[in-house]
Amino acid sequence: MKPFRRKGEELVARLVDAEADIVGLLLDQLEQLLAADPVDSGGDPVMARLLPRGHASDPEIAADYRELTEAGLRSGKADDLAMVRATLPPHGGEVRLDADQARAWLRTTNDLRLALGTRLGISADTEPPEVDTSDDADEEGSQLAVYYWLTAVQGSLVDALAAGRGGRR
Amino acid sequence: MGAYSDHVAGPLAPTWTPETTSREESDLDRPWVTIVWDDPVNLMTYVTFVLQELFGYDEPTATQLMLQVHNEGKAIVSSGPRERMEHDTNRLHAYGLWATYQRDA
Repeated sequence: MKPFRRKGEELVARLVDAEADIVGLLLDQLEQLLAADPVDSGGDPVMARLLPRGHASDPEIAADYRELTEAGLRSGKADDLAMVRATLPPHGGEVRLDADQARAWLRTTNDLRLALGTRLGISADTEPPEVDTSDDADEEGSQLAVYYWLTAVQGSLVDALAAGRGGRR
Repeated sequence: MGAYSDHVAGPLAPTWTPETTSREESDLDRPWVTIVWDDPVNLMTYVTFVLQELFGYDEPTATQLMLQVHNEGKAIVSSGPRERMEHDTNRLHAYGLWATYQRDA
């Protein structure tokens, strides 16, 4: 991966084939999660993190908030996801984003990190995996590697956007 | 008519101030707040970026709020009427921040 950098008004990165594949697979999984019936996914900690309660302690206000906002949040996430898919080079290559597309990438990579991070039980003390992962690396080890790879992608995009914002002032 | 209106003019004039400090009314006056909570996934740079993006905070203010979230576990990022705090919470959730709204303590 060549991290995101600002080129004029655009944000540009480069993904290799395998990286684009992984992002594509993760998008499919996130799409399925978001499309699932809220009743079926009610107890899922990942959905609880992607669509959090609006009020910490008052169940009535939390229920009002959910009724008012959940459909909109779900469709916003689905729109972002579609935007990322449309700008992802299917076999790797250059990713070139305008300001709106960059925000869709920011939100979707964040949702993917929240979903993976919740499944993996990421805490403030979690360390990135050793670079020297052997061939028989376990499933969780490779998911952790994907999580940190996404962190690097999102981090470079935030930095590139923030740098552009500073430059305009 | 003259005599009669002279007679009622006095009693119609307000001689008391309406009570505005009942418990219910002061509760209604108390503003609501939107709180962002610390979580182990969201990047510090991302939280700062989102606070600037959604609330128009300058970079030092957004950074200070982000650090408060990180160090103290939470920070109030906006305050005002309930509907606006609902809206602010919704916008933060769209960006994946962990936010809630409540009446100011």
